[in-house]
Amino acid sequence: MVASPQHEFETQDLLINVGPQHPSTHGVFRMVLTIDGEVVKDVVPYIGYLHRGAEKLCETMDFRQGIGFMDRTEYLAAHNAELSYVMAVEALAGLEVPDRAQWIRTILCELNRLSSHFMFLGAFGIDVGVFGTPFIYAWREREAIIDLFEEISGDRMMYAYFRPGGLAWDVPLNFKERVREVLKSTRQGIKDFDELLTQNEIFRARTEGIGYISAEDAIDWGMSGPSIRASGVALDVRRDEPYLKYADLDFDVITGENGDVFDRYYCRLMEMHESVKIIEQCLARLEPGLIVPDKMPRMLRAAPGEVYIRTEAPRGEYGIYMVSKGGNRPYRLKVRSACLSNLQALKQMSVDQYVADAIIVLGSIDIVLSEVDR
Amino acid sequence: MNNSLFGFEINVWLDALARLGLIVGVMTVVAMGLIYGERKILARFQQRIGPQKTGPFGLLQSVADAIKLVGKEDLRPNAADPWTFELAPYFVFIPIFLGFVSLPFLLGVNIRLFDLGLLYFIAVSSVNIVGWIMAGWGSDNRYAMIGGMRAAAQAISYELPLVLSLVTVAMLAGSLNLKDIVEGQGTVPYIAWLPLAFVIFFISTLAEMNRPPFDIPIGESEVVGGPFVEYSGIRWSMFMLGEYASLWILSVLTAAVFLGGYSWPFGEDLGRGYQLVLMAAKSSLYIFVVFWVRASIPRLRIDQLMSYSWKILLPLSLAQVLVVGFVRVYELPDIFLAIEGVFGLIILVSLTGRAVASNRRLPGAARTMRSEAA
Amino acid sequence: MKGIAKSLMVTLSTFTRKPVTRDYPNYHRPLPERDRAFPLLLWDKEVDEPFCTGCHACERACPVECMTVLMKDNPNHKSNGGDSSRRKIIDKFWIDYARCMRCNICVEVCNFDAIAMNNTWQGHETSVHDRKDLVMDLQQLLAQSHGGAIKEWVPTLGQANE
Ligand code: SF4
Ligand code: SF4
Repeated sequence: MVASPQHEFETQDLLINVGPQHPSTHGVFRMVLTIDGEVVKDVVPYIGYLHRGAEKLCETMDFRQGIGFMDRTEYLAAHNAELSYVMAVEALAGLEVPDRAQWIRTILCELNRLSSHFMFLGAFGIDVGVFGTPFIYAWREREAIIDLFEEISGDRMMYAYFRPGGLAWDVPLNFKERVREVLKSTRQGIKDFDELLTQNEIFRARTEGIGYISAEDAIDWGMSGPSIRASGVALDVRRDEPYLKYADLDFDVITGENGDVFDRYYCRLMEMHESVKIIEQCLARLEPGLIVPDKMPRMLRAAPGEVYIRTEAPRGEYGIYMVSKGGNRPYRLKVRSACLSNLQALKQMSVDQYVADAIIVLGSIDIVLSEVDR
Repeated sequence: MNNSLFGFEINVWLDALARLGLIVGVMTVVAMGLIYGERKILARFQQRIGPQKTGPFGLLQSVADAIKLVGKEDLRPNAADPWTFELAPYFVFIPIFLGFVSLPFLLGVNIRLFDLGLLYFIAVSSVNIVGWIMAGWGSDNRYAMIGGMRAAAQAISYELPLVLSLVTVAMLAGSLNLKDIVEGQGTVPYIAWLPLAFVIFFISTLAEMNRPPFDIPIGESEVVGGPFVEYSGIRWSMFMLGEYASLWILSVLTAAVFLGGYSWPFGEDLGRGYQLVLMAAKSSLYIFVVFWVRASIPRLRIDQLMSYSWKILLPLSLAQVLVVGFVRVYELPDIFLAIEGVFGLIILVSLTGRAVASNRRLPGAARTMRSEAA
Repeated sequence: MKGIAKSLMVTLSTFTRKPVTRDYPNYHRPLPERDRAFPLLLWDKEVDEPFCTGCHACERACPVECMTVLMKDNPNHKSNGGDSSRRKIIDKFWIDYARCMRCNICVEVCNFDAIAMNNTWQGHETSVHDRKDLVMDLQQLLAQSHGGAIKEWVPTLGQANE
């Protein structure tokens, strides 16, 4: 039999469905990969499996009740999520937050950034294929931070600790010592990761040059956080529009140059050093004082108007757009989620890569599905 | 024709059956022990405790797992090819089992010693890849198929360096009989003369067993267990048994072929008890290193894996064969081999480093200092 | 190669460290007094009745509406010859632990300090066969405080402690 020249080799692209139950989709994310042999030709992401309507729910809740829902939109960095929300309420209600509360908020947000980045390092290590070791290391370090949060706010993940005007209650008396203790173990943890992964040749071979996105494209996709900084865009809300006490603090914005998976990983690792630095500065300047304003209204009412507050959460810009028509609940609430915007670039980053790379590209943008779907 | 088993003269077939039965029993126990050991050792590498609830120190964990697996329903997907699917575990298991036949465990403790024992071993140990492909193809699952194809590609590439490094040993020993090979190492184990061959052999065995960093066919985070994804219950446990049996078999082979087996360093005159301790120590060392590598090193990508084998390992092992032949033909002293081996190792290390070398600037090296104006 | 060796050394050094995990059901980590598990009702030991007067404040403030409160006249009140100063008292109280999101709001709104978040290890095992079993009634909610198991820490909102 003579095959006609056109049909001598006929190959077929294969569709594979990754997720929503797949060990490395970081929750209930689903993507359909079109692969040609081992090479990804197309990626179609499907989101929405974790949609709980948090924004709509919050419109039926008064400001205090909404905090609990904000925790649940971003469960790995709940302090940062609460922060945007309470800052929006404060802006609408015209509340002045006392210094001490601001310092404590800064410390807790940075600690939360550390714990969230540890989580990233661990999960990323698994994506790259080290059997569990980085994950357990990450868990070990995160545990120390979470324990501290538990001592402060009473809960390990859903803190509900920031309140419009300040904090729910004061930190325990041994707060400073405990934070210093935690920082000590954190530094050791960062060092362990640095040695375990960064230097490893196989890790470098797996991550360098993979999932490249240029600075222009990253800006066009609306990415933010470490994912865009790795492409060389020095975009950091903490520095560009200082909130809390960041204007008084000295820290660097870490940027990469290559915009690939390795830079996204390493930017996060270096950012953790910066967070440690920030926390130390805050501890030195934390003084006794009030934690809610002197004249806190008994009934919290927001003035009519609208406000957009953005803060730098571990995964990028976490924004809250809140419309108020007066009264004690938002008329409309919209969460600008960093993960959702970062996820949009997934297709561009993973097309023409190997299947194994598509997985680590997904890992490198560090999504939290509850934040994507809300 | 009669043969002696433990001093009894019995029919040769009965004798063979008895020995095989013994091996099956011992293999199951050893595999269970290895599973327990792996879980405990990996746990320690990750600062965990590991299994501890079943029996003292969790010693009965593998037994409990085995009972659970046997008790599970043996599922077969509707669309799977029944014969291929159901026979695949046997094709994986039986070749590994056959590999035991020619292994010299202790002096006089073995099933059969062939004159071509090494050749036989190589021949049977590569048959199990058929089972992998059957499992991958028969389950009608795309993950499984990708895994099966990867397994085939990997087995073909790493078979060659593995065989070539064993060939050098055979050339040095002047025999393919494993007993002679062990006896030839009475004074100096071959690892001293052939360090390069040993390292290549070690790397290739990792790939043969699909152990990290070469666990691409079963990569948890990519193809979710590869060919085994549709298996459950007893068939799945056969795959696992096969995996750990091949770990044991290769550890014994390494001990016998490179580490001096039972004869180095005390000679063959010591009792079986000493030999047992010696062999156990040598093979556990090998097994420990395999676990250790598993806990610390990321997985390679399929193209990196292939090019590492074809571009680095294969040429080096060919060169090694040439050098050994040269030394033997011109009857140069063996020390040339050691020198060449060390030299080759240096080349291997530098080539491996070169393959993934990266002298890029790390993010954070060019730090954007925060401007006071902002 | 150097990097791989370094990775191997890190794991080896971890190998020699003490495990950080704990044997959970046999070992219970001491909990901080602020720990917030599920809400519980407190027992007034002086007059031997619950603190709760059934005022519905918590029920109204609960964001997930998981509480149900019914009040009644207090038979133990002074006017009835008892020794309590509570005119009304709780009759029936249910909290659906399956819905509660442990937000602490009920504790904050209660004017009688009658409800507190559980900060002990009891009551954490919420695996049941039927969701209805997670709806706790008055007896179950009071049992721990009655037995004196919970450490009292009713947070003072907004108060600085230094
Ligand atoms: S803790 Fe929150 S959700 Fe739970 S019962 Fe109290 S108010 Fe309701
Ligand atoms: S617990 Fe407190 S707020 Fe709730 S009904 Fe009882 S007294 Fe009222």
